[in-house]
Amino acid sequence: MQQREEKQLEAAVESLISRVAHVKNALHSFIYKLENEYERLTWPSVLDNFALLSGQLNTINKLLKNEKTPSFRNQVIIPLLLSPDRDEDLAKLTELRVPVFSHEIVPDYLRTKPDPEVEEQEKQLSVEAARIGPEVAQKQIQTLNKLCSNLLEKLNNPRDDRDSETAAIRQSKPSFNPADTNALVGAVAFGKGLSKCRPPGPVAPGHPGQGPMMSGGPTLQQVTIGGGSVQQAGMGGPVAPQQQGQPGRRPGELGKIPSSIKTNIKSASGSMHPYNR
Amino acid sequence: MEAPPVTSMPVTGGAVNMMEYLLQGSVLDQALESLLHRLRGLSDNMDPETFTDHELVYLLKGQQGNPFILRARRSLSHPTSPWHLRYLGQPEVGDKSRHALVRNCVDVAASHSLPEFLNEMGFRMDHEFTANGHIFRKGVMKIVVSKLSRILVPGNTENTERLSLSYLVELSVLAPAGQDTVSEDMRSFAEQLKPLVHLEKIDPSKQRH
Repeated sequence: MQQREEKQLEAAVESLISRVAHVKNALHSFIYKLENEYERLTWPSVLDNFALLSGQLNTINKLLKNEKTPSFRNQVIIPLLLSPDRDEDLAKLTELRVPVFSHEIVPDYLRTKPDPEVEEQEKQLSVEAARIGPEVAQKQIQTLNKLCSNLLEKLNNPRDDRDSETAAIRQSKPSFNPADTNALVGAVAFGKGLSKCRPPGPVAPGHPGQGPMMSGGPTLQQVTIGGGSVQQAGMGGPVAPQQQGQPGRRPGELGKIPSSIKTNIKSASGSMHPYNR
Repeated sequence: MEAPPVTSMPVTGGAVNMMEYLLQGSVLDQALESLLHRLRGLSDNMDPETFTDHELVYLLKGQQGNPFILRARRSLSHPTSPWHLRYLGQPEVGDKSRHALVRNCVDVAASHSLPEFLNEMGFRMDHEFTANGHIFRKGVMKIVVSKLSRILVPGNTENTERLSLSYLVELSVLAPAGQDTVSEDMRSFAEQLKPLVHLEKIDPSKQRH
């Protein structure tokens, strides 16, 4: 009976050692990669390494919790001999990590309880926990749960909002209006939509009340109407000599301006000529 | 029928025959922030620059049909800065190989007595407006995003009414005549502003009616 238990324990220790060795190897290679191949290391492969480690730790946990594994808790280790001298065998066994089995290190390595400070903290916490009644604790748990679910909701919903927003912008919301473009270009080019706010204008002395057209002479818009509509009509027209000081005048424009506008311009500009005064 | 090539246009008084290459578009008020954000990313590193200008357009009627037009601009945000007088030639839009509108351009700084001077010369103001907005630069390119407002009471720049619910967007380059390669750069820059803004060469004569 005892022999069988001993065999079981041995087997369990054996498999535990091999699993730990696996973890150690994985850690070893991961640390090596981090130190020597960090330039080529990609984030996914780092994550792979973490996944490997976490899987191996999980297996160890499972192994320890397994029913067939005898409880290691019941096994006691007693240091039989402490020595301040260097122990070569021990050093070799622990890969030079523990060269001496002395009074200094044994309490650390064979410790089964937490550090005194940690123990103290834990005691304080349990006192604190005991002080709060179960009802208050339940209430606090509920509040915390509520806060967490609210936060989760807030984190999840804006994503939906944002997605729908950008989608809406991309699909239906135009960011410009061609009609506005035309209106604005017309306004800067020749005051379209602006002229009605034109000041009454300096009426040439001696020509009062000659009608709205006359006061201040033709506006830019009125004048350019003639020029604009003639551009096609002038295609085959007689080529008038280029006027000096009027760059860009289209040949043929002169003779084709509708007569009424032309007269208006003439009479107005005549009266307006600065050097006539 | 094409206008004579811009390069052959006479410019008197200017040492260099400078051309303005221009692309225009507009952006709705609600999309302005996105556009400014994108422009801040695309243009040269610089502090965001804003402006508020008052532009007066003056005409001088000669004996013949088309009047001579000069544009006078002053800054409302910096009242002590000089005025800016600008002559713009006939725009040339016909050339399909060129991606931008091209027009003759002469810029002069002027003193504050410019309106009186123009009046004495026989120029008369045709219309005025205010423009306020933002300026960005990318190399030689200049991008102006501005809101145009009509002036309700002549001369009173405090009392204005916005012209539309959009901002005018202009991409321009000043270059000596014949440097058509700049229009290529302008086109590639304009591509990067799509689909927020479509910058095109717009023939102003088509907007007359």
